[in-house]
Amino acid sequence: MKNDQRLAESFRDPSGFLFKRDGTLFRQVNRTYADNFNYLETSKLSKALSDAGLLIPHKIVEVEPADPDQAYKVLQPELLDFVSYPYEWSFSQWKDAALTTLDIQRIAFEHGMVLKDASAYNIQFHQGRPILIDTLSFEISKEGEPWIAYRQFCQHFLAPLALMSYSDIRLGQLLRVFIDGIPLDLASRLLPRRTWFNLNILSHLHVHALSQRHFANREISKTSVKRSVSSNAMFGLVDSLRRCVLKLSWNPSGTEWMDYYEDSSSYSEESMQHKEKLVQAFLIQVQPASVWDIGANTGRFSRLSSQQSIPTVAFDIDHGAVELNYLESKRNEETKLLPLVMDFTNPSSFIGWNLTERMSILGRGPVDMVLALALVHHLAISNNVPLGSLAHFFRGISQWLVIEFVPKEDRQVQRLLRFREDIFSSYTVEQFEETFAAYFRIHTRERIHQSQRMLYLMEALPFNDS
Amino acid sequence: MSNQFLSTFADSVAAFSTSLFTPEAYLDPGSGSYILQILIAMFVGGLFVLRTSWGKISAFFRRRFSQNKDSTSDEE
Repeated sequence: MKNDQRLAESFRDPSGFLFKRDGTLFRQVNRTYADNFNYLETSKLSKALSDAGLLIPHKIVEVEPADPDQAYKVLQPELLDFVSYPYEWSFSQWKDAALTTLDIQRIAFEHGMVLKDASAYNIQFHQGRPILIDTLSFEISKEGEPWIAYRQFCQHFLAPLALMSYSDIRLGQLLRVFIDGIPLDLASRLLPRRTWFNLNILSHLHVHALSQRHFANREISKTSVKRSVSSNAMFGLVDSLRRCVLKLSWNPSGTEWMDYYEDSSSYSEESMQHKEKLVQAFLIQVQPASVWDIGANTGRFSRLSSQQSIPTVAFDIDHGAVELNYLESKRNEETKLLPLVMDFTNPSSFIGWNLTERMSILGRGPVDMVLALALVHHLAISNNVPLGSLAHFFRGISQWLVIEFVPKEDRQVQRLLRFREDIFSSYTVEQFEETFAAYFRIHTRERIHQSQRMLYLMEALPFNDS
Repeated sequence: MSNQFLSTFADSVAAFSTSLFTPEAYLDPGSGSYILQILIAMFVGGLFVLRTSWGKISAFFRRRFSQNKDSTSDEE
């Protein structure tokens, strides 16, 4: 009996499923999908998409399937550094994922196949670029058949992008509630009136929503539909969606944190350089296999790690900062940095069927090293999180911790306390060290030049000691 | 006023799409998406053909035009 673990993400798909055996990820292709799989391989579509960097490469392997009764083949896909979800993406990440999906549909159609799913969850960021990870998303196209994934594309990509562009950038978070994309009637209601005068948005979202409502309770036979979709019409549809997505934009100016480094009250240049030098030295000393930078802003410190080829996730609460970080990483063709939007006071939780379909952020850990730079005062003072709870949290997700303590005398903390009563009598450097020492061994403590801030390198104690 | 216009417009689109099929049996909850897609695809498919053909047509005339110009200058 093999020690196989079936992954919950692919539980709906009759074509196959993902499983882990002894830490290695495999994808079983079921016999019901054999014709489509053979076509995918023989039509060269699989190779064309892999060569273009649009589909995760896989190899067919001779290992015992997890479910031999149904099995046709077993694939071993290339591994991702980190799995992210659309409600964690910045605007341009979502837009690039949408364009990737449309490019794949166009190329698939040219090879005689179509995407049967246009789920945003099937796109992941791999080596800095969006890529389709579900090899079993294709089926042989039937002449005249409309694109089966059109509605899903509108719900997973077009509706959130239009809402983020025209209404409010935070509306992408709706996917945390509506796991299968934003219902089009809701999107239509939330979009401003001027979008009714945009022909693409009008047709793909507003009229689409009305059409869904109009036909919701009518009985229609598929065979009674008199028209079909010609190949030119299919290319035209994909082209129309692509033009619509391309025109959507969002300018991150004026968001909370994007000017943080430029704000002279935070740091002097010498402080910044000293802090960089210290973080760099810690990274060289520990050589972590993976890093999460929590509160990464536009990724200045995350890059110290990713530039050493360490897979690094740069989390920030601010959409603007993450957007700028992503655009820079894209411009520089960085392959080891993944910027993501995350509010660690309410991070991504387990959601979906049986609460296993999408992983929480903790479920995607632990990580080798966490960078928590200029973060603790926001959690401890703005959000009233006790220091003990913070130390326990960091111990749960990381082996190594690089953490900065910002004392009360610091101007940033004074700002936070300006309009509220100071109830944080235990927020002192002594209390901080004593609390964290219960969970971590403090290897190094350094004062950052020209500031009263302290930087620590800590290593997690075994759980039974903490 | 504009709302009334849009509502009438949407009703017209729905009425046109109804004319594309005959009601019979249950399809699926996405039938509205299915029907609308056929409608949009018909329209944008035409535009797509025009757009992709336009490059070829304009290149043809440009070529013809430059040939005529060359032969005229030869005669001169």
